Amino acid sequence: MSPLGYALVACSLAAAIAGCAGNGMGLDANGNPITPGGGSTESLTADFKSIQDNVLTPICTKCHIGASAPEGLQLDQTHSYAMLVGVPSAEQPGVMRVDPGNPDSSYLVLKLQGSSGINGARMPLGGPYLPQSTIDVIRQWISSGAANSTNATGTATAKAVPHFSVTASSPDRDSIAVTVPSIVVSFSADIDPNLINGTTVSLERLAPMAGADMSADDPMDATEPMGPMASMPMTAMPAAPASTAVAVTLAVPRGDGSALLITPRAPLANGTYRITLRASLADMNARALGSDYTFKFTVEAP
Amino acid sequence: MTRLLRYLLVPFFFSALCAHAEPYLAVQMGLKCGQCHVNPTGGGERTAFGNAFAQTQLAATRLDTGSDVWTGQVMRFLSIGGDVRFDGTYSQVPHSPSTDDFELQQGRVYLSADVIPERFFVYVDEQVAPGGALNREAYGVYWSANHDWYIKAGQMYLPFGLRLQDQNAFVQQVSGINMSTPDQGVEFGFEHGNWDAQLAATNGTSGGPEVDHGKQYSAQLQYVLSRWRFGVAGNFNDAAIGRKSIGGLFAGLRTGPISWLGEVDVVDDHSTPTQSGRQLATLLEANWRIAQGHNLKLTDEYLDPNRSVSNDAQTRYSLVYEMTPIQYLQIRTGFRWFDGIPQAPSEHLKTGFIELHGFF
Repeated sequence: MSPLGYALVACSLAAAIAGCAGNGMGLDANGNPITPGGGSTESLTADFKSIQDNVLTPICTKCHIGASAPEGLQLDQTHSYAMLVGVPSAEQPGVMRVDPGNPDSSYLVLKLQGSSGINGARMPLGGPYLPQSTIDVIRQWISSGAANSTNATGTATAKAVPHFSVTASSPDRDSIAVTVPSIVVSFSADIDPNLINGTTVSLERLAPMAGADMSADDPMDATEPMGPMASMPMTAMPAAPASTAVAVTLAVPRGDGSALLITPRAPLANGTYRITLRASLADMNARALGSDYTFKFTVEAP
Repeated sequence: MTRLLRYLLVPFFFSALCAHAEPYLAVQMGLKCGQCHVNPTGGGERTAFGNAFAQTQLAATRLDTGSDVWTGQVMRFLSIGGDVRFDGTYSQVPHSPSTDDFELQQGRVYLSADVIPERFFVYVDEQVAPGGALNREAYGVYWSANHDWYIKAGQMYLPFGLRLQDQNAFVQQVSGINMSTPDQGVEFGFEHGNWDAQLAATNGTSGGPEVDHGKQYSAQLQYVLSRWRFGVAGNFNDAAIGRKSIGGLFAGLRTGPISWLGEVDVVDDHSTPTQSGRQLATLLEANWRIAQGHNLKLTDEYLDPNRSVSNDAQTRYSLVYEMTPIQYLQIRTGFRWFDGIPQAPSEHLKTGFIELHGFF
């Protein structure tokens, strides 16, 4: 063997046996330093925080974390809920990763069970697979509506920082524009682009309401008999106008991480449109919007 | 022996060097991965050379098939290949019931079309089982006239370090670069003499949808001799959620019947809000070729999941016996021991497995 060969072996050997397994002193069950009030190791229950602490963090985040997470699915406590619940799976876009109330049609459950309809390998990749009792707890959480219990207690990394919110939009709320090639929404901080998808951001065209064009110039016929509904405010009827989804592309403009660019794939026709930003959208520090944000604008080309 | 088989075996008699599906075989035989695989960086469909090796050098006994010799070529311009792995596994994690199950790990089909012989081919790697079909790789490769550089574009595995069959090895886990996380982009490759190098620019989403403007860059440089090889690799993922950079050294060495593999990866990950920091993963593997068709593999792995936190290291040891009794059929059996912090049961997994591996 050449001297270089011996050196290579020696280096590899030295690196490989450089250390033994850690003794875990001062660490919680996930290998993180114990902080005051942290480090609890409660048994698995059918709530999201418990599932995060007992399954997703210790097992799934060995791979599903960070920029290299397979299929872009990050399952650390900052991203997991927003990337799981109500979000189409990458392997089968027609199936939600977690479909609240329907564990049998939730791709997460199908992948954990190794069901016949999945694409790719059963998870966790290469095993050992979760005991059925653990999968049953996850199923129970989904059956119960898949609520996010971490919101109530806050995540371990949540910091006392200002609220994440929408600061402006173009077109502005309730404005009328001649043409709208794209919609820009500005936030109070850089938005987490991994949470931007067709579920968390949507554009709909609202169907014109009967009488929507009524104005002072176009009063109701005063001679028409007034029924019981006539005394109700106009905004109460109908309760929610029918709407149709508009296909868009979503992007964070280069150099401005706090903006969201929503570009319709086809020019917007005349009409009223509604943008909906879901509560799960969050900034890079995992601060979520907290509640759905909607605004309307109207396209009125001459 | 048929004329065709004799033709295929000529390279072995003259060079006594060849390589096959796993990097230890490449080290054992002193050749580059692209010698036996269609993909210049290894893995997937085997070349005619690789198929000949599987029949004559890898198997303990070659069943005589007369004039019917499988080379992968099904038509003049079209070749196919595949891998099927079926496992029986026993696993034990403290404080949890043990599990044992049979499972079809994967069935893969490879297809390549040499639409311009020696210059341009189109390649597809499709996982067809279990479950529905899942595309792993799909790309086109254009080779220069003298085969000293190529351009690959499409969905592909990234060039980084040893392309191990064991997808759960620590070095594959912390890097996030393995054969279950292809990415879409372009790769430029250079091959000249004992040197080869690759540079890839990809989305950096591991198969997920692109969500930002940042891209992932992977580079690898390797020097290959018949008895040893050494390489350096780097990866930088400029993701909006945070940057991740990886540096790696890998090497191979043949000492008599034992082939050694080593890899050291350092990961600096700022894309994980709860675990940002440096990680270290190492692998040392010895493959003892007991006899033709029989290999004993010992692997020692070490993982420090956060260099700034003490007492959190993990280890993983594997003892695997691989027997290839006849061509295209392999039986693998082994044990793996994990060790980690006492309060994390999942880091104390013990597992045994037996695997039936059919390939062509």
